[in-house]
Amino acid sequence: METADLSHHISRRFNEDLERVRSKVLGMGGFVEQQLRKAITALVEGDSSLGESVALDDHQVNNMEVAIDEDCSKILATRAPAAGDLRVIVAIIKTITDLERIGDEGEKIGYIASRLATMERPADKYREIKHLGRVVSDMVHDALDAFARMDVDSALRVARQDRLVDEEYEAIQRQSITFMMEDPRTIRRALDVMWVVRALERIGDHAKNISEYVIYMVHGKDIRHTSLDDVERELRDGRPGLPGATA
Amino acid sequence: MQPATQAWWFAAVRLLGTVLLGSTVGWLFGNTWGGLACALVLHLAWVLANLFRLEWWLRHRSYADPPDVGGVWGEIIAQIVRLHRRKRFHKQRFVQLMRQLQRSTAALPDGVVILNAQREIVWFNRMAGRLLNLRRVGDLGMRVEHLLRAPEFVRYLAGHDFSNPVTVRTTSGEDGFLSLQVAPYGEGQLLLLVRDVTRQMRLEAVRRDFVANASHELRSPLTVISGYLETLAQEGGLDPELKGPVAEMRRQAERMTTIIRDLLELSRLEETEEIEGGVPVDVAALAALLRKDVLARPVHPHEVRLRIESPLQLVGDEPEIHSAFSNLVDNAAKYTPAEGSIEIRWWADEEGGHFAVTDTGMGIPPEHIPRLTERFYRVDRGRSRATGGSGLGLAIVKHVLQRHGARLEVQSEIDAGSCFVCHFPPQRLVPAQRALTSATG
Repeated sequence: METADLSHHISRRFNEDLERVRSKVLGMGGFVEQQLRKAITALVEGDSSLGESVALDDHQVNNMEVAIDEDCSKILATRAPAAGDLRVIVAIIKTITDLERIGDEGEKIGYIASRLATMERPADKYREIKHLGRVVSDMVHDALDAFARMDVDSALRVARQDRLVDEEYEAIQRQSITFMMEDPRTIRRALDVMWVVRALERIGDHAKNISEYVIYMVHGKDIRHTSLDDVERELRDGRPGLPGATA
Repeated sequence: MQPATQAWWFAAVRLLGTVLLGSTVGWLFGNTWGGLACALVLHLAWVLANLFRLEWWLRHRSYADPPDVGGVWGEIIAQIVRLHRRKRFHKQRFVQLMRQLQRSTAALPDGVVILNAQREIVWFNRMAGRLLNLRRVGDLGMRVEHLLRAPEFVRYLAGHDFSNPVTVRTTSGEDGFLSLQVAPYGEGQLLLLVRDVTRQMRLEAVRRDFVANASHELRSPLTVISGYLETLAQEGGLDPELKGPVAEMRRQAERMTTIIRDLLELSRLEETEEIEGGVPVDVAALAALLRKDVLARPVHPHEVRLRIESPLQLVGDEPEIHSAFSNLVDNAAKYTPAEGSIEIRWWADEEGGHFAVTDTGMGIPPEHIPRLTERFYRVDRGRSRATGGSGLGLAIVKHVLQRHGARLEVQSEIDAGSCFVCHFPPQRLVPAQRALTSATG
């Protein structure tokens, strides 16, 4: 009777610890999302002080990553989790690395935005970047939602969207090359824009990574470097009655 | 006689009859006691059989009809049926009431989310589901901050001050704004109210832009007017009759310049949210500077006291803090007669830092105090025109304090004086001579 109580007690404490770390990860995710959105706004609206503040605040993301990393090590050392719990910890450690990278890319965009704000703005007012930025920040948002809900279906959807971002990236690149050839005076600005687009494309990759960790966390399957169609088929056929949206 | 009492009499008579019959039959066969025992056993068997039927029915009462027995047993069964019916009626009424309540909350134009003590989602209405992108099935039992990750909201939820709503940007899709307010109830439960304030925020932005642009546009013509007026006033050949009017025009032009300057400053302050961090501001040095400014006025209160009781410095935006404090000190100087006095005090305790300006002026009637920080609000028309203020000073003070997480407290007594106190939160304070870039964290 007593041992049962004790083990129950331990597992509850463990669950609380795990839940607290998950909250921290999602809090960090929320901050990174905000940074990203601010950076894109700064660029599109030519707000140099907003861009600067994004670049200055990036250290907070790094601090959060370090703190969560420490919490995870502590849980690994003291609780020695197994199976599903261990997968959650591993997925968290990987997720925060990607979140930190997203933060870094956001910092880069913020920095470039504050520099571009002083230059003449192009006629299209960075419309493509605005669109791509929206797609990418939605991807980050959906990936974090999938993480919070342990939702494999949404995670797969995010992973699929990465292809769209890659296509968009190619398109903007081609367009920039045309601009540069037409008027060499825009080369400087076009190069900066390319940096931003490149950063956004990287952020899309990181969002895809996060959604892959969600699938790993729920099903214990490593789906990196496999085609998404194969993954989906395997997840559907491999386990009949697979919990869908409410996994 | 009640039917129940009747039934009991009947049961008693039946028992007596059984006993009599048993003993009579036994007596006839020469064994009175044996006959009595047999009769009692038969009676007991009958009672047990009835009990069995009753128990069986109670177990299967959802579909079985009550057993058809008479007498006391029938009465008992009738009572049970009545109780059961009453319970079902109450339950139905309760369920109906619940359904009505849920339906009315679901139809609310605002989003409502019920959270338990662990901040987990217990229930939400349709609007909340739409505004926050919640899913009816999977999201019950989720911690709300896992889905609503905006840092402002997470900070708001972690704190304990739910008196004001917090505004966050919508997280996906179209650019919009949501106003979120938490109302605690019961034992640690929370009601989260969600409103779409995109339209209000847009209108507010349009209004702000308009004020800023209008002020900006007015500034250039005013500069030209002021310039010519100055030249006119300095020119020797001015008609003596015009000297007075020109001087008055110059004064009014100057006042307009002040108003426009303050309007621009206000719209700049409104543009951004609360500032995090800043530089440490030496309040003691600032107060000394403000005192000097007062003493430099042509007419000033004869005594300006400084009481610096804390060496702590205030972290924030230095020009803004200077502007707020100098507005307070300026007001005190304006409304205090030459024989009065002003006291500037800075102290700190566990609640934070406090900057107070106390004067011995004419005081403010209590009904005006809550509205003092409104733009262009005048306590009385005669008094302020003469002093040449813009009418925006306290509005600026309020905004600066808001941006620093501080609040303004005003105490006043007519003909005795007023006291304006700024309360800053403890995390805004740092010991002197310590470089710091970020105070909040």
